[in-house]
Amino acid sequence: MSHGSTDKCEPNMTPLLDLVLQLVMFFMISANFVMEQTSVEVRLPEAVSAKALGVADDTIIFLNINAKGQVVLPPVDREGDNDTLDNPAQVEGYMKRRAAAERLKTKKDKPEATLILRIDRGCPFEKSYPIMKACRTAGYSNVQLRAIRYSGQEG
Amino acid sequence: MSRRKRKVETTEVEADLPITPMLDMSFQLLSFFIMTFHPTPTEGQIAMTLPPAEQGGGSSNPDITEEKPKKYVVRVAATENGQIAAMTFREADAPDEGGENLGADLNVYMKKIKSLADAEMKRIAASATKGTKIPPPKLTLELGDKLLQEYVIALFDSGVQAGFTDIAPVPIDKGKR
Repeated sequence: MSHGSTDKCEPNMTPLLDLVLQLVMFFMISANFVMEQTSVEVRLPEAVSAKALGVADDTIIFLNINAKGQVVLPPVDREGDNDTLDNPAQVEGYMKRRAAAERLKTKKDKPEATLILRIDRGCPFEKSYPIMKACRTAGYSNVQLRAIRYSGQEG
Repeated sequence: MSRRKRKVETTEVEADLPITPMLDMSFQLLSFFIMTFHPTPTEGQIAMTLPPAEQGGGSSNPDITEEKPKKYVVRVAATENGQIAAMTFREADAPDEGGENLGADLNVYMKKIKSLADAEMKRIAASATKGTKIPPPKLTLELGDKLLQEYVIALFDSGVQAGFTDIAPVPIDKGKR
């Protein structure tokens, strides 16, 4: 009397595992980690001609300005308990302190950092201009406006 | 004395790596990354020039060339809710009041400054062949107080697309500059 064979029938999981691990790696790599300096909720306007940061811009300072015209400091840049700078005088003082710290570090007369203003699309010019002026007074000359890069095509 | 050779019995043991828990974990990781995958919009920059104090003009760079750059001014009045109410164009040396009316349409503004930038680029190219250097033209935007950043960026964006590299925003009110 012959007995049936007891060979186990197992699907080959190895290629499946390879594929899944590759997918995991893809999602891990392409995950956008929140930048500390730009984590503040600011609704940026869109622009076709907005360009990515250049290689030469090695020192970058982000300044987040909300719709009320307040400078919102991310946790990494806070001085004490203050998380907002409500008026241009405060902004000027803050930027002067940053410029002094930078000058001390680089041993140069003027701060050379690229200042990127992330201004909310709902912020009126009368609120944003005094901040630009405060940055100019603090010695920053390389100032750029942040926008969402927009291809110009509606989906 | 006979020595009995001891035969060592070797049983083949197949190493079986349990793949199933690893696969379970990988699927969990995969589902986590798929669910949290949220492509954030790509951000970019538009260069601007901070005008020197008490001047409507542009860059603070010293002009070492013989020829001075052409300076254009676009005045943008804003409505109460921050939109563009009207735009007027003039050359920097012209009197403050008046100028060419561009209405409130950004396309008209774009066409106007594009034609200016193109003409200026031709002049720069022609002078380069003669050995003289003309600096690029400057565009000053005199903006109304209530104008929202959305429109400020739109004006900058059109300026950059037209070919201007030196764009400076200033308030209409000279006292605030």
